[in-house]
Amino acid sequence: MTAYKKEVYFTIILTILFLISGHTGLLFVIFAPDGVGATFLGFPIHFIIPVIMGWFGVLILTIIAGYMGNYLDEEIEKENAMTSDTPVSEGEKPISL
Amino acid sequence: MEQNWQLNNTTIGIVFLVISFVAFYFIGWYSNRASKSTQDLYIAGGSIGALANGLGMASTYMSLATFLGVTALILKLQAPFVFMWIQFILAIPLITILFGTSLRRMGAFTPAHFVRERYGNKAAIVAALWMILIMLMYALGQMIGIAKTFETLLGIPYAYGLAFGGLIIVGYITIGGMYGASYNAALQMVIMGIVFVIPLGAIMKALGSAGWWFPPLGYGDMVSAMREVAPNFFDFKYSAKWYFALIPSLTLGGIGLPHLAMRVFTASSLRSARRAMVWYALILGMVFSATYTMGFAGVFFSSTTGTVIGPTDADKITIILNLIYNPDWVSALVIAGAIAAGLSTLNGNLLGIGALVAQDIISTLRPNLREETKVKIGYLAIGSAGIVSILLAFKPPAFLVVSILWAFGLAATVSAPLVIMGVWWKEANRYGAISAATIGGLVYLLVSPYIAPNIVLSGDALTDSLGLSGALLAAPLSFIVLILVSYVTNRMPSLAAHIPIDKNNELIERIHGWNTVNAERYASNGGAFIIAGLCGIIAIWSIMPW
Repeated sequence: MTAYKKEVYFTIILTILFLISGHTGLLFVIFAPDGVGATFLGFPIHFIIPVIMGWFGVLILTIIAGYMGNYLDEEIEKENAMTSDTPVSEGEKPISL
Repeated sequence: MEQNWQLNNTTIGIVFLVISFVAFYFIGWYSNRASKSTQDLYIAGGSIGALANGLGMASTYMSLATFLGVTALILKLQAPFVFMWIQFILAIPLITILFGTSLRRMGAFTPAHFVRERYGNKAAIVAALWMILIMLMYALGQMIGIAKTFETLLGIPYAYGLAFGGLIIVGYITIGGMYGASYNAALQMVIMGIVFVIPLGAIMKALGSAGWWFPPLGYGDMVSAMREVAPNFFDFKYSAKWYFALIPSLTLGGIGLPHLAMRVFTASSLRSARRAMVWYALILGMVFSATYTMGFAGVFFSSTTGTVIGPTDADKITIILNLIYNPDWVSALVIAGAIAAGLSTLNGNLLGIGALVAQDIISTLRPNLREETKVKIGYLAIGSAGIVSILLAFKPPAFLVVSILWAFGLAATVSAPLVIMGVWWKEANRYGAISAATIGGLVYLLVSPYIAPNIVLSGDALTDSLGLSGALLAAPLSFIVLILVSYVTNRMPSLAAHIPIDKNNELIERIHGWNTVNAERYASNGGAFIIAGLCGIIAIWSIMPW
């Protein structure tokens, strides 16, 4: 897979995961509007899971996003180095800015 | 019986405030003393490290509302407001992955700066004018909040608090520039974290929580007692549509706020920006969670003691709980922390307005200005924005203060679509951008209860006034207009001739890190039409009965 495709997939997937993580309350409203009757840390599940996901869930995703962002930068650099060593292919031209 | 909640010993409150302002002035002056260029003024030369930037991001986002308004709304709305507030944490991570690092690579000062490079001067001015309105609403809310805090808690009359406090604040923001803003915001975040979370532990202990030592998540043992006095506290109360509307209004709105994006641009490197995002999530998550605890404690206290918190005092629940359960000096520290929260946001707002006026409007109209002149205009614009905020706050127009949250929906409509599509879709062009910002923005204004009260979508006062229903229609509409108008005008030779296609393509490739232009990259019309289709479904849903 090219770095470009990885970048696009990574951005779409991470955006969706971030949205889910910050909007877990919406999922409970859709699938369990009356709550699930269970508790965690003493709180109703439908309350505490959105709070935890909105903190630690987002935190974990930022770590993944940081790692993946750095990895993608390296991948793009590698492809840049390859194109600078070889003639520019059809449909591609060097940036002149 | 309602009580008059005020610090008994106002002297100690004023002393803490004076000490904190002296520190802010010193940090502002010291960190900005070598600043010479517009790059220094607006993005601190792109030199802020990850920890300071992460603290600054959290601090800039945590407005006075986190200390005062949020707890008041939890008192009123209970759990639904917690669910509403949780998603605010997404702003910086989504900005970073969707366009923050790309615009940092470009060297943008503001999102409107990118709009100018990408769509041209007219689009930049349209976007900048909308963004200034959004920033002004935000800044005005902070200014009023700070003056009211002076008035109600320290006994200083509103007008005096506003005039003297406002001028002192504007002074330190203006002399500090982005260097001062960044390091002050980092310090303010530390102050806020300490004076919010630690006294909250003492309050929770007094209320009987066994988990008082970890206030953000340790009050689960109080849930059954809470259910006895407030049985509906944890209920959802609103429909799935209401919760979904938080995405196009508040989540997308946060992505469109210029002063948040500018914090990403100050990062010393792309890696540093990504590390800052992690610090931001850790710190903001903790303080937000503690805010929910404070709201919970407010409801529990009010319900168990029978104390009536009047509507005018609801904003003060954080302070009230401290006045009751902690010594005066702790309450004074909490007040200083609340003001610090307002200051850090105001700092970001005024710098944002300054950059939008000086860089995105004046420098666009007069591109040949010398760098020295641009810097002087920048300082003048920041100071003037502060003065305007103070003057407006004396007798604010109702539509500007009704809701800062309403401004999020406007940002979601007029700012976010232009930047997101501009970064990810080469076909997005100036006609689409100008049409989207204009039509989307006007529709959002029209369906808000502040312009035409008879034309509202949900009919629920809170939902409409917060902009949730308006943004559910206007934000998707803005994406649709941008995509369709761009697609059509690119195929009209007379209009397409005015679009610098090669320059735009090079810009997009460059900000993603490429050194070549590839026709197949960032050119998916299929992807754009899927977005337009989904937005169409959401827009139709928004006008159906709520």
